[in-house]
Amino acid sequence: MSSEEKVFISVIVPFCDERESIPLLYESVKRVLEGLGKSYEMIFVDDGSTDGTREILKDLSRRDSSLRVILFRRNFGQSAAMAAGFKVSRGEVVVTMDGDLQNDPDDIPRLLGKVEEGYDVVSGWRKDRKDKLILRRVPSIIANRLICSVTDVHLHDTGCSLKAFRREVIEKIRLYGELHRFIPALARVEGARISEVVVTHHPRRFGKSKYNLSRTFRVLMDLSSLNLFLKYLRNPLRFFGKIGVGFHFLGLLAACWVAYRMFVNKVSLIDLNVLVTSIFLLWVMGFQFLFIGLVASLIVRTGEKRRITLAPFLLYRNEGRDGG
Amino acid sequence: MADKESNKKAAESLGISLIVSLYNFAESVESLYDSVVAAMGEIGESFELVFVDDGSTDSTYEKLVTIAQKDTRVRVVKMRSRFGEASALDAGLRYSKGQRIVYLSGRVRVNPREIPKFIEVLADGKDLVVGWRFPRRDSFLNRWISWVFNVLACRLSKVKLHDINSGIVVTYRTVLEKISFYGDFYNFIPVLAGQQGYRVSEEKIEQLPGSFRKSRYPKEYLQRLLDMVTVFFLSRYSKKPIHFLGFVGTVFMLGGLGIEIYLFIYRILQMGPIAGRPLLILGALLLVIGIQMISIGLLGEMIIFTHAGEIEEYNIEEIIN
Repeated sequence: MSSEEKVFISVIVPFCDERESIPLLYESVKRVLEGLGKSYEMIFVDDGSTDGTREILKDLSRRDSSLRVILFRRNFGQSAAMAAGFKVSRGEVVVTMDGDLQNDPDDIPRLLGKVEEGYDVVSGWRKDRKDKLILRRVPSIIANRLICSVTDVHLHDTGCSLKAFRREVIEKIRLYGELHRFIPALARVEGARISEVVVTHHPRRFGKSKYNLSRTFRVLMDLSSLNLFLKYLRNPLRFFGKIGVGFHFLGLLAACWVAYRMFVNKVSLIDLNVLVTSIFLLWVMGFQFLFIGLVASLIVRTGEKRRITLAPFLLYRNEGRDGG
Repeated sequence: MADKESNKKAAESLGISLIVSLYNFAESVESLYDSVVAAMGEIGESFELVFVDDGSTDSTYEKLVTIAQKDTRVRVVKMRSRFGEASALDAGLRYSKGQRIVYLSGRVRVNPREIPKFIEVLADGKDLVVGWRFPRRDSFLNRWISWVFNVLACRLSKVKLHDINSGIVVTYRTVLEKISFYGDFYNFIPVLAGQQGYRVSEEKIEQLPGSFRKSRYPKEYLQRLLDMVTVFFLSRYSKKPIHFLGFVGTVFMLGGLGIEIYLFIYRILQMGPIAGRPLLILGALLLVIGIQMISIGLLGEMIIFTHAGEIEEYNIEEIIN
């Protein structure tokens, strides 16, 4: 298989210390893809495993040329693993899934069906999750609500790794840092149409879950910057400016109150010390936000030519594709 | 064992280039050349030797030219003026051909006789080998400051080395091409390589007596410290500035908020006046700084987001099929 040759579907699976799962996952993905009767490739990304995952992957890839393996020099995180997978993938449709066997490859055809219907991103929905209630599911539900309301992407389960993308979308997505959690939202920035499909979810068979509660803060932070990207990328001054003007307005209100106390109630300025100081601080902050907004618009402008050209909706082209 | 042998063979097929940066080094150029050639003679491999004259004002260049006229393996690159070691290394890389690079800095004088040991370690499956000056022969103050610097750098970067800036680096060309060591990050080559996932190791090397640099100015220490903060920040948070700035900002903001709420309750319960209390100002300023940090973090996020397509945050060792 030459590296330029296009295939119909690429399945990307990032692994990090998942030694036991690989053979099983490989077999089942392979079986499902063979069943499709179309050209395919599997891309297994090793994100700096230290438990022998690398050797197993190398061994498998020697026997099967449809299995492509990317080995990282060290652990760079799931987003990086997915970004690398996206980069080398050649499929018209790209499917991502977890390496821990909790996703079921049998759901892939149904995801493909939705893509055929004309959606650009199809996300799995683990309607019947097999995880611990308090530690995993409750935080996940809260996070999902929050993500939906901020990003305006209405999915029941954005955290599900099993997702399908059209090639055009992954070529535009900017995936870095820890943004793999928000791929649908990132796709929406690029104008993608998004849908979801109920998928099966299995309990964890090997190893331990790598998620924990302490990530909440980082997710919240990412969400706040995502909010900025989604709504104000065109003109960040609208975001920072709003806050700045808000501070100025508060300062003005306080100033009016001080003036009233001074001239009507004849209170001396020294006794209004606290209020006067806060007026100044509010104004300082107000100006600062305005200036930061200006710098932000400068930054966006420098990147604009290349990146910020949002194709409205990617039109579905039905060329020579006859259902999955 | 067979693997080791094949490693060695593969390494030998890649030529060795020695790059030496020099600044006002006239009095010991010849002895340096002699010991490098002697050391390389022990390995018995062919090599090339690139001297980069980083804008010396003494007769270093003339002496180098004399050497180059006698020895065809020697190349001399003269910089127009003093550009610093990072540029010297870059120029050396550009005018050399070998895939294995031995870089020696004229600033720190280590014993070139020990180069073969480094090349051997590299062939053993390492990607980058640095020196560990032992025994050190510079002034007590220098040693002490260097120790503090190393401990700090290693703590921050989680790379376990004793001496990150020993003046000798043995590595592959591909490694140096992958890490951007330009500017003052030059001092952090092993740290940067470690963060890219390369296998970094160290070897003891003797520091030659007699020739130390004069004491540094306090300004230089401050610069090094700031460089370190930059390296730390860029390597860990360059793709997610809000994780760092947002965290610190939130801590400040919560601190400020706590103080103000305390004072508010204090005032409401009529326990006394608060206008003259310094705590009030502290709380207000903490709030301001906190909010500022978060917004600067958001600004950082915007920068990264608009340029995310250009930066690759991972380092692939191998793609199979």
